[in-house]
Order: sequence, then structure tokens, then C-alpha cells
Amino acid sequence: MAIIGKRLVDQVRSTGLKATVAQRLDDGFTRLTSGLSWNDVRGVLRGDPPGKPNNRVKPHTEAFWFHIRPTFYHEAVTTLYPTFRLGYMSALFFAIEIITGIFLMIFYTPSPERAYQNMLDILTNVPFGQLMRDMHRLGAEVMVVVVTIHMWRTFLTASYKKPRQFTWFTGVILLIVTMFLSFSGYLLPWDQLALWAVTIGTSMADAAPLVGPQVNLLLRGAPDIGAGGLLRFYLFHVVLFPLIGVIFVAVHYYKVVRYGISLPPEMEGVGEDSARKVGPAKRVNFMPDILTNELVYAAIAIALLTIASGTFYNAALETHSNPLVTPNHTVAPWYFYWLQGLIKIPHILPVLPEALSTQFDSIMFNVLGITPKILWGIIIGPVIPLLLMVVPYIDPNPSRRYSDRKVMITLGVIFEVAILYLSLAGIPTGVPVTRFGFVGGDPASEIAQEFMPDEGVGKVKRVPWDQLAVGTWQIVPPDEAPNAPEFNHLLRELQQDMDHRTREADPNGKKLSGGTANVRVKLIQPDVKEFTLTISFTDDKGQPQQYSKTNYLHRNSGYEKE
Amino acid sequence: MNFIKRIITFQPSWTLRIITGMVSVVAFISMCLITGVLDISGAMAERDHEFTGRNIEAGAKYYFDQCARCHGGKGEGVDGLGPALSYDGFLGKWDPAKNTLGQSARLKAIGWTSSLKGYIEAVTAAGMPIKSSPIWENPHPPFALAYGGPLRDDQIKNIATFVVNWGPGQVAPVATQPEGGAGPQPTAAPLTAQQEKGKQVFLGAAGCQACHAIRGVAAGAVGPTMNKLATTAEARIKDAAYKGTAKNALEYIRESIVNPNVFVVAECPTGACIANVMPATFGTSLQPDDLNALIDYLGSLK
Repeated sequence: MAIIGKRLVDQVRSTGLKATVAQRLDDGFTRLTSGLSWNDVRGVLRGDPPGKPNNRVKPHTEAFWFHIRPTFYHEAVTTLYPTFRLGYMSALFFAIEIITGIFLMIFYTPSPERAYQNMLDILTNVPFGQLMRDMHRLGAEVMVVVVTIHMWRTFLTASYKKPRQFTWFTGVILLIVTMFLSFSGYLLPWDQLALWAVTIGTSMADAAPLVGPQVNLLLRGAPDIGAGGLLRFYLFHVVLFPLIGVIFVAVHYYKVVRYGISLPPEMEGVGEDSARKVGPAKRVNFMPDILTNELVYAAIAIALLTIASGTFYNAALETHSNPLVTPNHTVAPWYFYWLQGLIKIPHILPVLPEALSTQFDSIMFNVLGITPKILWGIIIGPVIPLLLMVVPYIDPNPSRRYSDRKVMITLGVIFEVAILYLSLAGIPTGVPVTRFGFVGGDPASEIAQEFMPDEGVGKVKRVPWDQLAVGTWQIVPPDEAPNAPEFNHLLRELQQDMDHRTREADPNGKKLSGGTANVRVKLIQPDVKEFTLTISFTDDKGQPQQYSKTNYLHRNSGYEKE
Repeated sequence: MNFIKRIITFQPSWTLRIITGMVSVVAFISMCLITGVLDISGAMAERDHEFTGRNIEAGAKYYFDQCARCHGGKGEGVDGLGPALSYDGFLGKWDPAKNTLGQSARLKAIGWTSSLKGYIEAVTAAGMPIKSSPIWENPHPPFALAYGGPLRDDQIKNIATFVVNWGPGQVAPVATQPEGGAGPQPTAAPLTAQQEKGKQVFLGAAGCQACHAIRGVAAGAVGPTMNKLATTAEARIKDAAYKGTAKNALEYIRESIVNPNVFVVAECPTGACIANVMPATFGTSLQPDDLNALIDYLGSLK
């Protein structure tokens, strides 16, 4: 102690107080950056040329975070093409998810009694709560997109080829981890969307041959999702998948550093890999160029994410989960639509004529016990990621040139089109032209579902509360309520929808016949109205039927903003 | 092609890097400030308002599913089944100036020291532990899953929020009030052997009790209540909208059982009754003896 003090006093005596403080601060700064003084860092951020000797190499040997980054890149991979910075962006979003996720964890309890109330508290009582939740949710969706495009880019530039096969393999695992991270987070708000999306997901596991029920039981912790399932999904979401993610990011990135980023295909000879053979003239140093670029990209991405989350993006929160009520038209998260689409394939060999393929289905079922759902959803579905994993090991073509890979690229495009087609088939409206995958109940309940969906905000909830005119209003032909333009517009839209469904049959051949309807609005409390839509129609047997659905609407519930 | 090439080989200049970096950081910080700090009270209070509104909506749904049968659609109570809720004796007087409810006479009478909402939640969840008044045949049943009922805690909280929200819209109670008013119910005449058999058919073979309520006998909540059915039937026949052929109460009851779609009434516990909900098969599925006994029993409810 005394010695340190003495030195300090000596230094102040010889150089003055100001210079001493400056020198000591700079010294501390240099330790923090593992070898760069304040002026060095300033030079990096200004893009000054390196001095001699180049101090900027020091952190690459001294510090952990810099030692995992290379000291230089080949100049051909520092432009937007060929990487588009997608790997970096994936890692960045992973980091954003971890940070916002930790914030949300503080205010969250994985228990069915508390989880939903916690969500309400995060939105109404926690400073930054809604912003963090929106960023976490939007970031997760963007991350799925970025990771998928990253894989696509790698496929198109054939960067998975020797020696990067294993890098690709770990990349597919990271894609799966990303999807499962996102999916496991779905359950945590404990709202209707959560419960039923995850129920669908785990039911898929349930149908798997041999181990299905056991896997389902392990995932859910009970025959149905409840306290056990919520806790398990929480632990998957905050421990297991992030841990697998971190481990595989480490392996993945080690391979990237070890083999370098592959050059654009046209720059190399066939079978050649020159990413690590970079002459001094072609080197771009990590500091300053790569580092500052990355900082700028990170800043832009974070700013855009924050602005989107703070303005137009609102992570959905449906009503409290209810195991007894299945909302109509429940779907899995969008990145699993293709799996839902696969399950909708009606036959094992859908290309055969209807009669033959039905025959074939029953033969397959009697002989192997395989139904189309098991084949497409449970066998083919999981085979797809496995197929992606082995792509580099089975692709016999040594060339990375686009012109030499016409077959592979065509296959890739066909695969992507198929995934998009199946994704469209996965949603209840089905594929636009072919109408494959269409799901619909009887027309009356579909009308009610369209205007008053079980979950989420429909057209009825968007009508300003004051305009919901108390009384009974006919739809065919539409009545006019005084001073309620949006309410009248709603009545007309209802009439048009009924008219449409009367004239045109849906893809299942169902038509609305003899439909009349009325809307009854009742004031049940000074600020609560009861909105009942009653549709009368004639069923297939010519019997009169009635369908009615009720929404309760409070003056302050603010649906028109969503 | 040249344009694409320029994009994919794009390298931001130093000026561009510094400016976009700075702008992004400033945008990020200001967005955080705007959403998280400056707008704190405004946005969060507004969200709070919205979710209270949505909770009341959910409460309304559960109220009409579970409570309205005994407490009435306006909270006015149902004679013989449940007391009124939306009147000042229970909720307390609404004070428009202060926007609050005053002291509840009911809570004072039973010595409940916690909040009104707490009382509603407690009784809805666990039921009434004792028969607190001679007027109501059955004490309030428990509704919480934990006490053997159908509702989760959040649903019960929503219901309580909905009931308390009647504050400014209180109605005059129509039902007998526990604090006074009408005396105990008149005792009905004892049942004959035939009517007793009909009662057993109602509860057993025919399964009527699953959908219909009779005070002190059954509590079905789908179809119309059968209290005073004979009296109601007489009134129905005289109703201008009546489409059937019955001439007296017993014929009306028979017609309603055998051919329920001839005349569908509007008074079901959850709103207007819907055609075809009541099976039209009892005319053939019940033994003629049983059917006659059942009609005799229902006709005795005056």
C-alpha cells in the first residue's frame, strides 16, 4: 500500500497531477481492452491506419472475445455478398434474446396460477416490460427468419462443401434449436394461443410410432398440459435449449474460424479451398474495418428492433388459457405451418387416383400399421431436418460453381417451394388456388368465426364501442342504425359475407342456404355491451337451424388499436 | 446487373459508418426513453385500463355461463334461486361524485371486514359455509376447482370484477331478499304415488334434470326452469305466439315432451331457447306409464 502510494506521489511530483491522472486512466483502459490504449481505440473507430508495430493484434491474443475472432478476413468476404452478415445477425439476435429474456424472467413465474397474471403485470406495471416482451417476441421471429435465410445462403453458395460439412451439420442443429426455443417460449404466457399451439405440437409427438405416448408424457408431464408441462417448457426454454444453443454456436463458430469464411464460389477453382490462404495484399484487418462494420450493423438492427417494438409491433396476448375450450382454427407457430400442411396430406401416395390411393392406404395400414398422418407428420416431418444435416455428406459434386450445380440448386428450389406450399396448406384457409388444406366448419359458424373469432380481435371488436347501437338489427337486408357509420358498415359486411357464402360453395362444397341473421346489442352494464349474432339457416336435411355467438364488449378494452 | 453488383459489393464508407452508428444509437436510446421512461404512467395506465375492461368482458361471459341462472341477467336475482347482486343493499350506494361504492349493508350485517370484491370471490370460490338465511333453500355452492367447482381462480376474479362493475348501473331487485321482504316459501301439497313416480322418472330414466331445474329438486341449466310449470303452461296456451294444439296445461306439457319443436319458448337460462336442443325422442323412448307419471308430476308444479 505504502509503495503504491509512494509511486503515485513521485509521479505527480515529476509530471504533474493532470498528466498522472490521464496516464493512470489510460493504463486502466488499456487493461480493459487487453492492449489498446484510448488513442488506439479512437484510431480504430476513426479508421486510421494501424501503427507499427500493430497494437491492434494484441487483443486477439490476450482477450477471450477477440481471440475467438480472426485477426483478418479475405477481402472477398467483407462485402455484403457472399455472407450478407447473416451468421453474425443470428448470433446478435441470440444475444438480444438472452438479454431481454433475462429481463422477462425476473417478472415471471412458471405456474398456471400466476403466469398469465405475470404477463398482465409485465404489460401494465413493469417499466420497460412491454418493450422487453415485444423485443423478445419480435426478435425470436426475426431470428427464425435470419437463421433460415443464413442456411439458404450457405446452400446456394455451396459453402457446406469440404471442409465445412460439419459446420453445416451444427448449423442445422442450430436451426432446430432456434425453432424449438421459439416454440417452447410460446407456452409461457399461458394464454389460449400458448396452450393450444403447444397442445398441437405435443400431439404430433404423441402420434409417433412406438415411443410417441412416452415422449408426449415426458414433454407434458401429465396427459394434458398443466403445471408440469408449463414448468418443463419453461426449463426447456430457459435452460436446455439455450445451453444446447450456446454449445453449438461455439462449435459452429470454432469451425468458421478454423476454416475461414468460404470465398465466393466463382473465385476458387473446383475442389479448392483458399479461404485461409490470404496474401497480405488481400487481407482486411478485423480492426478497424470488420469491427466497426459489425458495430454499425448491430446498432442498426437493435435500433430497428426497438423502434418496431416500441411503435407498431405488439406481441399478442390472448385470453387466459382454458383447457376446456379449444378456439376455432388453432394453428401452430408459423414456422411449423409446413408440418401442419404435411399432416393434411390425405394419402400415403397422393399422386395415385383417389380410389387406388385409398386402397393403398388400407393395405399399408393393415400391413405396417402406417396411416397417412403418421407417415407425413411423424416420419417424413422429422426426416426433413435429418436430410438437411446429411446434404454435405451425400452431395457428390466437388464444384461450388453455380453453373455446375444446376441439379442441386433446382432441388433446393423445389424443396423451398414445397415447404412454402405446405405452409400455406397448414393454415385453415388453405392454398389459394388449389384450396388444399382448407378447413372449415358449417358456413354459419365460419361467418361468426370471421367476424367474432374465438381468440384475437375480429371486426366486431374493432367497431368503436359507442357506435354499437343498442337494439336488434336485421342483416338481410341490413338495417341502418342512426349515427353509427362503422356499425352500419359492419352490418353491410356481414350481409356481403352471407351473400358470398350463399352464392359460392366453400372447397368442401358447403353453402349457406336460406340464411337470415340479426345482431342484438344489449347494454348489460353501463360500460358493457352484449353483442349477439344469430344466424338462421336451413341445413342439408332442410331443417331450420340457428347458430348464435355472443361477445361481451367493454368501453375501455381498446381493441380498435390492435 | 450492375446495380445488383454495386449492392452486393457495397462497403460503407467511414463517414457513413460513423453517422449511421451514431443515428442508430441515438434512435435506440430515445425509443427506450420514449416507451420506457417518459411515457411510463400514460401507457401503462392505459394498458391497465384496457386489461381491466377485458377482464370484465371475460367476467361477463362466465357470469352468464354460471351465475345468471340464479342471480339474473341484470343481477336482479331470481325468485327462490338466488339473491340480487346489483342493488345497493349488496354493492353499497354508488357515489357518482367520488366514483366509488359506499358501505355494503349486507357485508356489514354478516360482519365481513374485507373488501366487497374479496367477499364475492370468497363466496363464489368456496360457497357459503352456512345457510345464512331461511329464505334460500340451498346455500351458495362452491365454484372453484379447488373446492370441487368448475372455475379457475382467474375466472372467479373476473366474475367478481364484473359484478362490482355494476356499481353505477344498479337495478331494483326483483327476487326475495335475504334482508327481509317476502317470508318463507309456501309449502307445496304432498305428491301422490303417481307424481312421486314421475319425479323419479324426471331424475332418473328420462334424464330431464340434466337440463331443467326445479327448485329443491334439480338444477339443470340448459332448458327452461320447471318451477310452477303448470301455471306457466296455462299462460303459454293463451300466448298469441303459441303454435301448438294443446288445450290445457297437461296437454301442453305432453306436447312439449313428445314434440318439443312445435313451440320453442324464449326463456332459457342462457338466453333464448334454440330449436332441436331438446331431443324429440322422449315420446318413443319412455314407457307410456313413465311418461304419464312424468306429466302428472310436472303438472303438479303450480
